[in-house]
Amino acid sequence: MKKFIAFCAGILATLSCSPLSIMAAEAGSESTANVPLWLCIPFAGLLLCIAVLPLVKAEWWEKNQPLAVAAWSLLFIIPFAVKYGVGMATETVLECILNDYLTFIVLLFGLFCVAGNITLEGDLAGSPRVNVIFLAIGTLLSSCIGTTGASMLMVRPMIKMNSWRRRKSHIMIFFIFLISNIGGCLTPIGDPPLLMGFMRGVPFFWSLHLFPMLVVNMVVLLTVFYFLDRRNYRKDIAAGMRPDISKPGTTIRLEGAHNIIFLVMIVVAVILSGSLPSLSAFQDAAGNVRGIPFGEVVLGFPSIIEIAIILLAAFLSFRTSNPEIRTKNHFTWGAIKEVAVLFIGIFITMQPALMILKAKGGDLGITEPYQMFWATGLLSSFLDNTPTYLVFLTTAGSLGFTEGLVTTVGTIPVRMLIAISCGAVFMGANTYIGNAPNFMVKSISDENGIRMPSFFGYLLWSLSFLIPVFLLDMLIFFL
Amino acid sequence: MENTHEKCLKLARRIYDLDTNVYQLSGSSLGRTFNGDKEAHISTLATLIYTHPQGHLLRSEIALIGNMARTIHNKAERSKMMTEYNEILKEIEQIPASFGSVDIVDEQLAALNISNLHRQASPDDHLIICIGRTHGSAGTDIGFALADALKINYYDVEIFNQVLERLEAEKDSVADRDNFATKLHELHEALPDTRAKRRVSDFSRYHGLPKKDAVFFNQSDLIRDMAKKEDFIVMGRCADVILTNNRIPHISIFITAPFQQRVRRMMEVNHLEFKEACKLLKKLDRQHEKYYNFYTGRKWGDAVNYDLCINSASYGIKESVELIERMIDKHPNKK
Repeated sequence: MKKFIAFCAGILATLSCSPLSIMAAEAGSESTANVPLWLCIPFAGLLLCIAVLPLVKAEWWEKNQPLAVAAWSLLFIIPFAVKYGVGMATETVLECILNDYLTFIVLLFGLFCVAGNITLEGDLAGSPRVNVIFLAIGTLLSSCIGTTGASMLMVRPMIKMNSWRRRKSHIMIFFIFLISNIGGCLTPIGDPPLLMGFMRGVPFFWSLHLFPMLVVNMVVLLTVFYFLDRRNYRKDIAAGMRPDISKPGTTIRLEGAHNIIFLVMIVVAVILSGSLPSLSAFQDAAGNVRGIPFGEVVLGFPSIIEIAIILLAAFLSFRTSNPEIRTKNHFTWGAIKEVAVLFIGIFITMQPALMILKAKGGDLGITEPYQMFWATGLLSSFLDNTPTYLVFLTTAGSLGFTEGLVTTVGTIPVRMLIAISCGAVFMGANTYIGNAPNFMVKSISDENGIRMPSFFGYLLWSLSFLIPVFLLDMLIFFL
Repeated sequence: MENTHEKCLKLARRIYDLDTNVYQLSGSSLGRTFNGDKEAHISTLATLIYTHPQGHLLRSEIALIGNMARTIHNKAERSKMMTEYNEILKEIEQIPASFGSVDIVDEQLAALNISNLHRQASPDDHLIICIGRTHGSAGTDIGFALADALKINYYDVEIFNQVLERLEAEKDSVADRDNFATKLHELHEALPDTRAKRRVSDFSRYHGLPKKDAVFFNQSDLIRDMAKKEDFIVMGRCADVILTNNRIPHISIFITAPFQQRVRRMMEVNHLEFKEACKLLKKLDRQHEKYYNFYTGRKWGDAVNYDLCINSASYGIKESVELIERMIDKHPNKK
């Protein structure tokens, strides 16, 4: 434990007390490797806006989100362009929009559209037992159709089942913990960082090594959830709330079930985007992925294929589904719009933080699995977990291990790779911005009469319930 | 003060109606902000407006309706709802946030020198008496004798039987968990059936709820429906809290007796040994307390939860009935 505390202090000291200009290995060259820390201010500012403005100026924030995002993005782009030149700034922004944001938002959009056309009709009443069963199913489903897919598919039935209750925000919080994050750890389809690992030589089914961690987390969190939900359920009953169960027997039916085909289409598109780049047909003579160039930035053909398949799935889903299903599902564009606007800002403004991480990741002195777990996890809580995973994967690969799993970035001991994967996948649940589905679930809940906690309120929930579980993971698996 | 009270109540109604309209116009089936009993929500909202008009809780409740209103597809309807939403917000802003430590939310309730019991019911309401009792205190006999004297219906296990009909369940498969008075030796536990098929069928029959909860919810519905139709006495079943939650005027009575007296009565009536009777009584009290606390959040037998608590050992059955009759004499519903 002492080692752990010393390690955390080390990370904090490195990140907060380092000199303003963080020099990379190639000292002297004016590349993005020595990005000054002050360029991260717009990212911190945007996060602060997301956290504070909905509390103090809710209506203003709702109306002016795009303006705020644009302002913070410009506050990064302009100084960056002044320091590194317009070309570099344009390239950085284009690279982030085309290669990170575009595929990210199209995937979210596709899953949002398809899941919005599926509805679970029935009069199942949300009780602690039913909620635990639903959360367990959803958690396991996350590894099959991705955390975003499972979240979008399960969020509405979960809200509907519990609509008779008053105290239900905790249900959606544990939904985010389990279905939107932790559940995605078993396959590369589950969460994008694992897909990146797969693209770098980690076998497809290797992620099943994370099953024991998943089981421990599920058992602990679901047990805690059961008792918490039972307490709230009793309070609801005592306050006179009751579900409508006047009809004997429950009828459950899936409307728009054919959309599952489109869901599978999207999953296939994601797998293709991970596997096509390694095929020679998609590579040029230098081994780079071929695609459409936008100046220096190339939008790879695998990404274009992924985008095309996902958009086709979304289009077909809309064309073939009864609009009544969307009405019943209270399908609106609000949630996806909010995520699209906020995350473009997050993706752009977090670039300096990622550059610093890429430059300094290897100098953090992280050599133990528990260190990898916490470093990857804590940074994944606020930054995009995919690049964070890649930085630490590369760092681990460069440490010169001779035993372990052979990947394209080097040989990595299994325990260390498990730690990096768990950190990246699990700890996205720590904040609303840690993973895209977190924000989607929050937005959909907000639109359907569930009072979700604020940014800091949610952080308090994760500090109270998730961090102890992660400490347990560390003690059992990574020390 | 009275004026502000009325204003808050009026605003609360408008907020509730806005939620109803917004939910209807959105076409959603996922649930609304204020689910459940209308009057209870209005009352809670009115108190919130009165006590914390600028508070976070009230604002976030209203913001939830606003969130849903913004999703209405029809532009004209959306604009209408948002106008009403903004007007409500403006009116709330104008309410003075002067509620201090010396203010009283419900002055009538706080006035101890007047009888709130008889003021709460109107002549249109039915006479409903809820009797809670400890085992061995002759509460059942008192309830039955009172129903006979007042010539109104007496309900105990009948409610449970009606619930079975509603659930289309077989009697052997469901335990009457509130019936602490009859099957002493069985302790009211139906044998758990572990067969998977039965479990699946139960899961479907009870909407995924535990059996006891499904029975309780149906009992609640029945008691509430009955309260709108007739005068009656209901024994146990947390009826007092169910009716309170549904804002249905009623009289709640708790009947008990010293432990030793109750043991003696059990020994006489059920032909039990002293030790056996003591053990059983303690167990029944524990179960009863747990059941009541689970569904009401209140402490069973706590005097503050009842209009009248009677020690039946001091009065006996006949005098207890007379005592209750005298108490309800002034009641507007007394025939």
